[in-house]
Amino acid sequence: MEELIVLDRLTKTYRMGGETIHALDGVSLTIRRGEFVCIIGPSGSGKSTLMNMIGLLDTPTSGSYRLDGEEVSRLSDSRLADIRNRKIGFIFQQFNLLPKLTALENVELPLIYRGVPGRERRRLALEALEKVGLGDRRHHRPGQLSGGQQQRVAIARALAGHPPILLADEPTGALDTRTGEEVMQLIRRLNEEGHTVVLITHDLSIAGQARRVVHIRDGRLLEESGVPAG
Amino acid sequence: MIVQSVKMAFKSILANKMRSLLTMLGIIIGVASVIALVAIGQGTTKRVTEQVQGLGANLLTVNIFGRGPSTALDYEQAMRLAEVEGVELAAPAVTQNATVKFGTTSESVNVTGTNRAFLDVQHYEMAEGRFIGDVDLDFRHRVAVLGSETAAALFGDENPVGQTVSINGSRFKVVGVLAEKGESSAGSRDEIVIVPITTGERMFRTGGVRTIYLTVEDEREATAVRERVENELAGMFRGNANSYRVFSQQELLETVSSISDSLALMLGGIAAISLVVGGIGIMNIMLVSVTERTREIGVRKAIGAKRRHILLQFLIEAVVLSSLGGVLGIGAGVGAALGASRAAGMDVVFSTDVMLLAFGFSMAIGVLFGLFPANKAAKLNPIEALRFE
Repeated sequence: MEELIVLDRLTKTYRMGGETIHALDGVSLTIRRGEFVCIIGPSGSGKSTLMNMIGLLDTPTSGSYRLDGEEVSRLSDSRLADIRNRKIGFIFQQFNLLPKLTALENVELPLIYRGVPGRERRRLALEALEKVGLGDRRHHRPGQLSGGQQQRVAIARALAGHPPILLADEPTGALDTRTGEEVMQLIRRLNEEGHTVVLITHDLSIAGQARRVVHIRDGRLLEESGVPAG
Repeated sequence: MIVQSVKMAFKSILANKMRSLLTMLGIIIGVASVIALVAIGQGTTKRVTEQVQGLGANLLTVNIFGRGPSTALDYEQAMRLAEVEGVELAAPAVTQNATVKFGTTSESVNVTGTNRAFLDVQHYEMAEGRFIGDVDLDFRHRVAVLGSETAAALFGDENPVGQTVSINGSRFKVVGVLAEKGESSAGSRDEIVIVPITTGERMFRTGGVRTIYLTVEDEREATAVRERVENELAGMFRGNANSYRVFSQQELLETVSSISDSLALMLGGIAAISLVVGGIGIMNIMLVSVTERTREIGVRKAIGAKRRHILLQFLIEAVVLSSLGGVLGIGAGVGAALGASRAAGMDVVFSTDVMLLAFGFSMAIGVLFGLFPANKAAKLNPIEALRFE
């Protein structure tokens, strides 16, 4: 299957009070289109840095990152924003919906930055909201929705622009077990429909639902386990 | 994108109505005070200008201060000024306050002795009868022309023409009544009695003409004519320049316009200061807003907003805030000026130029003071912004 994400000996070092910290220490990872990969590790393992790297929010100190066939490790802020917008759908632990906008407006947001004209934007946003089963809540604000519904709106926002990758950072972390399970079901279903999913968590029971699990510790990928790729 | 940003800016302003209003207050007060004060200032200037022009912009007034043969002029000498090149008409005048009586009614008014030219020089018109003629001067006729107010005070609804009044005890026949003229900066111009100058001089025992009103043929030549008149007077008084003074309406107009110019400059200064203060208020609140919305900025950046999108969003918010303040300020200023004109009877003139300028200036303030917070927002690191609590 087609290689979507190719990380090759990626490193990221920070200087903190004269001490050099290797947040990522030669990480190589290949993710193919349609995979469901879970990156698991304890806090401080470098998994957030890895997620920021995959999500193009951060650039590596060295190594290369090919995303959908394009080298992206040395691009300008503006180019990175563009690629984030088209290639990656973010799902955050805290949902991160804008409280003053309605569900529909929140979902429209990435399309605004892509320059999609108004009518087309609304059509795509509504389509995404219906996919997560919240078409009837389009005019509700985040404050009027439950946590599970808010996360589903956030997923719809990630889906709206049809990006090849869904990047989820502890998507169930702020939810109770039952709604967390509903959200995971939705994410699994999206993967079955062909979306590539990269999920970052420290929760083993969540990781168990992925088809492929990658452990990270002290900035290194220790092993790959679970169902073999492809 | 811009339409979207403007919509979002309005949303965020409406979401914090009280805060937005307080933020805009500086701009509102600044713009409102300028609009109101300029309206009142221009109204006053217009009124004064109209009064001055009502007297005629082609009018020269010669005042004689001296007494005695070498420092005063008699009527014949005064009339020599009429022959100066460019002078159209000359109306020498002697004026004194006198008691005018008809029957049992008496009035204290200014009695002016003058000649035929006075009517045109002062832009009076006749309502009844005739004005003073040359024959009246030659024979020192005891005839009088009444101003409309004086006529009304003495005769009520009766026709004064043909009646006899007494001025300081002497009997005068009323031959005419002037049409109403209205107020001027020197008081009512309808409380007046006009007699032939020769009769007046004898009655008042004045040593010569005190005032000579001249009109020039062409307003544009007023300055040149004035110089020629001054030369002529210098000859008459043998260079004693303290004995006379020539005063033109043009000069008065220039004084008025220079006063209103410096007033406008002062108002501009006040406006600039208060708008800058208002701008600082906007900058302050925008900085607070950027901090409060750090997480929002992080989210927007993560889902693909570029620096310029964020910059534009906050800049537009600042500009919308400041222009809204400008619009409200214009409204408040117009309201205040109308209130002042109604309450204090002041004339107000609204100028669209000033309003557009005030609006443009408040918009510019929004750009200027919005730039720093907007740039701060645009430069935020998305990772840190997302982590912000």
